[in-house]
Amino acid sequence: MIELLMTVFSATFFVTVIRTTTPLLFATMGGLIADLSGALNVALEGMMLIAALTAVIVSVYAPWYVAVLSGMSAGALLGALMALFHLRFKADIILVGFAVNILAAGGTVFALSQATGGDKGTSINLQSKAIPALDLSLLQAIPGVGPLLKSLLSGHSLLSWLAVLTVIAVWFFLYRTPWGLWLRGVGEYPAAPEAAGIPVNKVRALSLIASGALVGIGGAQLAMFNYVGFTRDMTAGRGFIALGAVLLGARHPVGAMLAALLFGVFEALSIVMPNLFNWIPSELIQTIPFVVTILALVLFSYRAQRARQLRTLSKI
Amino acid sequence: MSTLANQRGAAFLREVGRALTALVIALIVALIVIFVTSADPGKAFSTLASAPLSSNRTMGLWIDDVAKLTLTGLAFSLVFQARQFSMGVQGQVYVGGLFAAFVAMSPLGATPFAIPLGMLAGMLAGAVYGFVPGYAKARFGASEIVSSLMLNYIAILVVNYLIRAHLAPAGSGQLMTAKFPDAAIFPAIIPGTRFDLGIAIALVATVIVWFLLYRTNWGLKLRLVGHNPKFAEYAGIRASFVMVSAMTVAGSLGGLLGSVFVQGRAFGNLAQNFDGNLAFEGILIAIVARSRPLAVPFVALAYGYLRQGAQLMGIRTDVPTEMIAVVQAIIILLVASSFSLPGKALFKRLLGQSPASAASAEAAK
Amino acid sequence: MAAVLEAISIGKTYPGGTVANDGVNLSVAAGEVHAVVGENGAGKSTLMKILFGIEQPDKGELRLEGKPISFANPREAIDNGIGMVFQHFSLVPSFSVYENVVLGSEPRNGVRFDREKAIAQVRALSEKFRLHVDPLPAVGDLPVGQQQRVEILKALYRDARILILDEPTAVLAPQEVEELFVAVRALVEQGRTVIFIAHKLPEVLEISNRITVMRGGKTVGQVNTKDVTEDSLATMMVGREIALRVDRAAGRGDVACEIKALKITSDTGSTIAEDLNLQVHAGEILGLVGVEGNGQAELLEAVAGLRDVADGAIYLNGESLRPLSVIERRARGLASIPEDRLARGLAAGASIAENMVATRLADRRYVRHGLLDLNAIKANAQALIERFSIRAGGPAFAVGTLSGGNMQKVVVARELAEQPKLLLVNQPTRGVDLGATQFIWKSLTKARDGGAAVLLSSADLSELLALSDRLVVFYRGRIVAAFHNSDDLTPETLGTYMLGLNTQEPETMRAALQ
Repeated sequence: MIELLMTVFSATFFVTVIRTTTPLLFATMGGLIADLSGALNVALEGMMLIAALTAVIVSVYAPWYVAVLSGMSAGALLGALMALFHLRFKADIILVGFAVNILAAGGTVFALSQATGGDKGTSINLQSKAIPALDLSLLQAIPGVGPLLKSLLSGHSLLSWLAVLTVIAVWFFLYRTPWGLWLRGVGEYPAAPEAAGIPVNKVRALSLIASGALVGIGGAQLAMFNYVGFTRDMTAGRGFIALGAVLLGARHPVGAMLAALLFGVFEALSIVMPNLFNWIPSELIQTIPFVVTILALVLFSYRAQRARQLRTLSKI
Repeated sequence: MSTLANQRGAAFLREVGRALTALVIALIVALIVIFVTSADPGKAFSTLASAPLSSNRTMGLWIDDVAKLTLTGLAFSLVFQARQFSMGVQGQVYVGGLFAAFVAMSPLGATPFAIPLGMLAGMLAGAVYGFVPGYAKARFGASEIVSSLMLNYIAILVVNYLIRAHLAPAGSGQLMTAKFPDAAIFPAIIPGTRFDLGIAIALVATVIVWFLLYRTNWGLKLRLVGHNPKFAEYAGIRASFVMVSAMTVAGSLGGLLGSVFVQGRAFGNLAQNFDGNLAFEGILIAIVARSRPLAVPFVALAYGYLRQGAQLMGIRTDVPTEMIAVVQAIIILLVASSFSLPGKALFKRLLGQSPASAASAEAAK
Repeated sequence: MAAVLEAISIGKTYPGGTVANDGVNLSVAAGEVHAVVGENGAGKSTLMKILFGIEQPDKGELRLEGKPISFANPREAIDNGIGMVFQHFSLVPSFSVYENVVLGSEPRNGVRFDREKAIAQVRALSEKFRLHVDPLPAVGDLPVGQQQRVEILKALYRDARILILDEPTAVLAPQEVEELFVAVRALVEQGRTVIFIAHKLPEVLEISNRITVMRGGKTVGQVNTKDVTEDSLATMMVGREIALRVDRAAGRGDVACEIKALKITSDTGSTIAEDLNLQVHAGEILGLVGVEGNGQAELLEAVAGLRDVADGAIYLNGESLRPLSVIERRARGLASIPEDRLARGLAAGASIAENMVATRLADRRYVRHGLLDLNAIKANAQALIERFSIRAGGPAFAVGTLSGGNMQKVVVARELAEQPKLLLVNQPTRGVDLGATQFIWKSLTKARDGGAAVLLSSADLSELLALSDRLVVFYRGRIVAAFHNSDDLTPETLGTYMLGLNTQEPETMRAALQ
């Protein structure tokens, strides 16, 4: 137990948490934007998977940032596809989402085997690139706290820093710009923005595209930093966990970030625990993020239910 | 009355037409993909299109898939009719398979009771697993989509662990249990093939689900809750009970599918990751069948053929089986698009959003 | 005075074949309050939708300041200085007043939404037009009258010179109407033009300068308000048609439903209504009066079994209803016609037969041992379709395929299929046309004459006064007054109690509560 505590309060664990949280955080922000615009994006999982593979394959031939951008574009494209079928052809958003997930699960394996010349499991024989880590060794020069700061802040993926900026940007967008107001209005009561002349469907379509783009960056981080290379089903439910994080975060960017961080911590725990407790089977440790998601969701939904009751009350 | 029959017939033909159009478009896309990627596209496509009929054995494989697809399609149809998006069939398949395996590997496994008891154990385990997200939603308002998906991952991991650490023969290093006793494995209807009891179970289940939905009080309540939960509440139907019970019954179908998997001739044991993602394909079956239980086996028959063709194409040619995911996605997208149209239009009319139709409903004020 | 907005020989036929407007003329002068009056179904709303670009006319033309113009959508109408306030508001509940007002045309500071400026602008507008709206609270927390003024602010913020108010008083208590009129007068003083749609004549006479009268999709005429009386106007409106008339109950029977010291709380325990004491006799209609949200709807839900009761008792013919479920209450003769019949009273995707049996799933005629008797269910539907002349292909057709009026009939048919002992009715004629109003009123009086005790809640005081034998007034979850209906009872009298401005002597109230 003491070993666990020591590990958890170490700088290395902090770095691991940031690493595990980054893809989740992008996916959560993507899910949040879609959700606030009134479309539950259950395709986060599939979008992330396709973006991860796209980024890996592109990175073989192009610089890492081009790969990240193409992962992002792949996600955005899928968002546009969902918007087309949901808004134009009036298909149920959940069914459209699962179509994307099914496409992703099989399609990535198919595309992987095409790209590797037959390997259906991993991209191990592709020379894919990694996203560089930001070296902040110069922090060490600060007297006193320098070494600690360095061990905490140095060595994170560039995208982790971008993720922090993204949360701020999403918050700013949603609550400080007119378009954020439009988006939230469209999600809550579309008749009102429609009467005000706001193109409701365009707002929704752009939200889905933005949602896909954000998840896409998460996918790139997963396959170009957390792991270097693609493995089939490598997202392993992260998209669905992100969906849980959106609900858990009370549909607010800061709340969603905290929820993503919570799941990131438990994923990090499931990474470090096998070394500490080799008597606990690894499969059971891997269930931790999923169990935590269910418990958190139930607990939060229960509290939200009660809060809602309290609110309706104050009106009367 | 004859106009009614005509109307129904027309609606039926329209649905079949839509499904076939979706299928044709999807196959054209598949053809293009094969053409672009394969060294021998002709062989790949002809394998996809005709391989399931090539031998008794492959036909057995096909029918085996049909049985399983029917069961998962029924499970999804049931929750979709109640307008619930529980995605937990996969998890139910794993716990159902696990408990069926427990029965098969116990002393009971060698007795004549092994098959019915295995099925029963699988159904009970699946029902419990289906009940959990339903209860979490009814009691706490937790999204059934997220919780059922999480339960899928948990079930797979736990079953995989149990197989690896406890159920596989010690020291074998295998990721599966030993073969079950013969008494616990479904008898073949045509010897030497996978054409076994599974298909009979699937057809019986189809009739039972149809009967439950369209001939019982519970089924009518379930469908009314699915159509309009507010109305159901006003009419005195306990929507949360109906919701939870629908997910529980669907769970038992998922569990039954687990037992059909492990006790069927295809496996006859419990292996890691045994469902090969088939459980999720029930979504496609249910959507194309418009959640009508009697349509499910027919859709499963057609889709199972395609699925088996893709499997054989993956084995016999250079085009991987997974290419079929493209076909699946296109079919879901196209069929979902067309069939939600009337529902949405009506919804808009009720809200008075669409000026033209709202006006015809209210005439002029 | 020059006409600022004119409609000339407007014709509009809906796809269903309904002729909504036929040769309609309207000429609105700048700076006036122009009322458009007519019965429900006279074509007023269609005309307004055409003026605001929601509908396009088949015939005729619009002129704005003398120039022909057409609006493809509301946006174009707004850009030309026309604003509209609908009966159903388009407001985002969780947004604040100022956010709702500026939504779609926000003041900006770079990419930022300039909140300070928005608040200042909304506050200035509110003061200029004497609307008395605080820009900061969330709209969902405001009373209906304030929400309506937020809608007016929205139009003014977009610089509407011509403001169309669609039945603005329908949702207001009489005293709130006065506040609205203060605002309307302020608008006109500032040079704006108001088109005021209504069917309540005293209000029209009070606020308007000129009146255009519509009947059956046509304009009957245009008059100066000072030249007409309520009677002459009514004659123009109604023409040769017979106004809706209701015969009062011939006599009432014994007490059928008794409510004693009833207390209703929300799920978290705070009081919604308390100390409710009521008796409803067989064969009478008891009207529940009150501004919406004062406990009337909750009382109906509690009696129907859709809402838990904290304390007190509800008896139907001597039997306590509290321990009984919704289905058991229905089995004892309770029927209920909900407010939003299409959204709450029907499952549009299910068949007519299924809808008609949905409230009787514990009845042994239709369900035995958990199995449906399909023949009985079909026969029941067939009989009701004939009895209520519902136009439908047959019992197996989905309710969603019917016209709006026939969907209404399905609900009424189901609830009145058997003579109820206690009938609960909420907002029976909100948003329905004249034909449906007639049908529903007739159905209610028929049920009453058959011996039903009827509890009727409505936001329309004239409806309550037309139908009720007795009335009780709700204010903040309590009954504050009770009356035997008579010709002396006016909406204004009821209004003073609805807003808590007046209290009744306990003895008077007790006498009328019996």
